Parts: sequence; C-alpha cells; structure tokens
Amino acid sequence: MSYRDVFGEILADHHESPRNWGLITDPTRTENGFNPLCGDKITLTLKLKDGSSDETLEKCTFEGEGCSICMASASIMTEMVQGKHYSEILKLIEAFREKMQGVEAVEGLPSDDAAEDIVALYGIKRFPVRIKCALLPWTTLKKGMGAAHAG
Amino acid sequence: MNELIRRDFPILSRVIDGKPLCYLDNAATSQRPKKVVDAISKFYLETNANVHRGVYHLSQEATDAFESVRSKVVRFLGASSEREIIFTKGTTEAINLIASSFGESNIQAGDVIAVTRMEHHANFVPWQQLAKRKGARFEIIELTPELRLDPKDVDRVLALKPKVLAVSLLSNVTGVTNPIASLASRFKMVGTTIVVDAAQGIAHGEVFVDRLGPIDFLAFSAHKLCGPTGVGVLWGREAILDKMPPYQVGGNMITHVSDLDSEWNELPHKFEAGTPDIAGVIGLGAAIDYIETQGRTRINEYEEKITEYVIQQIIEIPGLRLLGPKDPHHRAPIFSVAIDGVHAHDLATFLDMEGISVRAGHHCAHPLMFRLGLPATCRASFSFYNTFEEADQLIRALKAAPVFFARKKK
Repeated sequence: MSYRDVFGEILADHHESPRNWGLITDPTRTENGFNPLCGDKITLTLKLKDGSSDETLEKCTFEGEGCSICMASASIMTEMVQGKHYSEILKLIEAFREKMQGVEAVEGLPSDDAAEDIVALYGIKRFPVRIKCALLPWTTLKKGMGAAHAG
Repeated sequence: MNELIRRDFPILSRVIDGKPLCYLDNAATSQRPKKVVDAISKFYLETNANVHRGVYHLSQEATDAFESVRSKVVRFLGASSEREIIFTKGTTEAINLIASSFGESNIQAGDVIAVTRMEHHANFVPWQQLAKRKGARFEIIELTPELRLDPKDVDRVLALKPKVLAVSLLSNVTGVTNPIASLASRFKMVGTTIVVDAAQGIAHGEVFVDRLGPIDFLAFSAHKLCGPTGVGVLWGREAILDKMPPYQVGGNMITHVSDLDSEWNELPHKFEAGTPDIAGVIGLGAAIDYIETQGRTRINEYEEKITEYVIQQIIEIPGLRLLGPKDPHHRAPIFSVAIDGVHAHDLATFLDMEGISVRAGHHCAHPLMFRLGLPATCRASFSFYNTFEEADQLIRALKAAPVFFARKKK
C-alpha cells in the first residue's frame, strides 16, 4: 500500500512536488483560506495582467499548510487557471464545486481526456469527509478573484 | 481478556476492504455485544407496550422491565434510590437538563460558573450559554503542560466560590482522569454544586457516586458502555432534583392537568416527559449486566496494561506528539497524536487503509484544541475487547505514516 494506491499517481505527484509554490512579491491580490475545523491553511497570490481590461489572471501561486488533498488540489488548480479570464475562472470554480458535490452533468469543466489532473481530484469523492479539503483552494480563489474584480 | 470476549461482538469479526476491522474509536462509541442487541430485539418481539400507563398485563411487563433497569443503575452507580436516576437521551441532554432546570433557577447575574479547559462541548457550551443568559461569570480552569488540571488554577477558581463546577471524570481527548473526590470536597466547602460528566469515565473502571466525594450530579451515555445510542442517565441528589423545575413538560411527567395549570409528577418521572426510549433503556440494562459479568475492576486492570504498552512504544516514534501524560496511571487508553508533517486527516485516511478505524478532528473540544494550537489530531481509543495485536498494528502504522506522506523539496 502506498500513497499512490490510495490517492493515485497524479495527486501523489502534486502533493510531493507542488506546482506554482511560493508567493508573488507584488501581487494584485493576496487571499487566505482557512478551515478552522481541520487546520488547512492556504495563501494565494494573484497577479492580474497590467492594465488589462479583460481581467486576465496572469499568474497564480500558493503556499499553505494542510492535508495532502488540499495541497494537491491547490497545485492542480493553479496550473489550470494561469492566463484565464475572470469570468472563465469563476465558471470553472463553480463547475468544480458542483462536480465534487455530486452533481451529475456539470457544464464548464474541461473534457476528461484533456485534463487528467482535475479528473484525479474527482476521485476524492470516495472520501466524502475530505471533499471540503479539495474545495478550499477553489473557494479561496473565488474570494480573491471577486475582491480583485471589485477593487 | 481474551478471544472469547471478542466473540460476543459480531462486528469485531468484520473484514473491511480485505482487512480485519481494527476498531479504535471507542471514545466516540463502543461496540455492542450480541446480548445487548438480543435484549432490545426480545423486548420488541415479545414485551413491547408503553410503560407507566396500561392496566393490561403486557404494559405491566414492559413497565417492570423498564423500571428494573432503573434499579440496576442505582446499584451500578452506588446511588441511594430510584428517585435519583433519570433516563435521558444521553450525556448531552442530561447536562442541558441541569443547566436549564437547575441553572435557570439557581444562577444569578454576577455568579461564577466554572468548567475546565478539557471539557467536551457537551459539558462546556451549556454552561457558557447559561452564563451568557444570566450575566454570570464563566471561568475556565486551565491545564498543566501534561494537560492535567493545573492545581494553581484550581485554587484560583476555588477562591471565586463558583456556584457550579462542571468537570469531566475523564477527558475524551487525552484520556486524563480527574481527581473528582478531592475537587468535590474542596469546592463543596465554598458551596459549589458539582456536576460530573462521566460520558468517557463510565467505560473505564468503576464509577460509584458515593465514592466521588460530595458531587451533586453525574451524567453518562449508554452507548459508550456497550449499550445503545439515544439513551443516557442523569444521577442527581434527590434533595436538589426535588426543588428543580421540570426540563420538558408533557405526558408522564404530570399528576394533574387543569385548564390553566398543571401539577408535576414525583421523581424521577418529573424529568421524563413523553414516552421514553423503552427498548434503549432495556438495552442499557443488558449492557450493565454484560459489563458486570466482565468485571469493571478486571476491565480497568486490562486497560491499564494496554495503556502502558501503547505509551511505551508510541513515545519512541520520531516526530510524534502524544497529547497528555506519558505516565500510564490515572489515564485511560485514549491516545491523541499529532505527527510532524502529517496532517491528522491524511493520517486517519492512511490508518483506515490499514484497516484501523480512528477519529481525526477536534473531538468536540475546540476550547482545548485551539489553546494547544492544534486544529486536529488523530485519536485512537481502546476498549477492553481490543487486543495487544491491535495495539501493534496501530504502532506499526503510526511508524509508517511519516514515510508515506513525505514531501519532496518544493
């Protein structure tokens, strides 16, 4: 039995070698996510494209302390949202949330073949109490994008 | 304690995901021996009728079966009479009953209500909210680094002459046992009413109210004692219960209802409104019989051995922090651990994959966990039917976990 047997190769890899780890020095927005019940903590730094009228997220990085699922989910998410538009990101977040909460036909997610990393996260549904671990980075990004958008 | 005991619990022979069940979440709920389930089933199949009302034979049989458990609880707890034994839904309801009924009529603005840092939410929140409603002062007795009650802080709170002290017999997070008799003697001198939460304590060794000093109330739940869920016991001193107003009103708890007022039934029925969980109470009776057959002293001796065995090995694991005392005495086989670099939920999932059922989280003790700066720990809690082999299985898995969750350099 190994980590890979339990969580799969992809999540194990993201947990062991997180992508987009570290904080941007001059972010447009820093957003913290915290789950007081299990202690998962995440900080996202967001850089929006300078003077961009279309509000493109140029860069998104993170640091955090938390369980392996939360950290792997953050790593996968940051890879997916780089360079995407505000509205596109919000749609993706909402679609992912629905998917994790068991909605059958969800629109707005990439096709399974094109995005095997996020598909690996869907597997967390077999551990119902851990779904909120996978969602924390996404809800934090939503908060951050909303604030950046408003400001 | 041996294999024969395990045969009394059919669930213990379950195989989950190809691995034999290693159930170490007994502090959350114990398992039930077949005798308890049979007693409940037999009641429904052969004796079922409502209690305290019917003039017919079957109802009398049901009433006798139900009330005989009350007598059994009197003996089991060393209480003085059936009038002191109130059946509730569990410890939580029992404490809410005291906080509402006794609290509402006895606590005034400016009074002090004391609890301890190690209380379960069930023995914390009712008192906190009572203090809030009444404008009373809410005091928390702090702990030593070993997470036992800090004697200096006990003195500080004692000097405040609290109206109520709510304290657990045994912590559900650390397994620490509190010196109730000496606490009760000292607080009684300043006029404190002493409420003991025995939800955990009841399962680990003898609990006799007449040996716990001058305490006033004690509550426990059947399901931690191999009995069914949804049933608990509140023991209280008759003189105090007698003066307390009802907690809930309705059927069974009245003697006379006129258009504009009602008269309350005598103890203990005054506090048992509505049809009780009759089968549950009968299950509790069977659980008490079962525990007494095993012997509470014998259970305690066995648990002390397993506590010592686990602690000796667990503290040798690098990066593992065991909450609470490392001295195996005055402590139950409840082990909350945190491992460097391994999140409590990851650890629990990992243990689950090894067939080991443990609890991860805050164990309904936010005030303690936040003070420790630990949002979550993993808790393995043993019962008398757990084996030394299971202890070995846990220890092996705890050793393996840090390797399993190691992260590369970022």
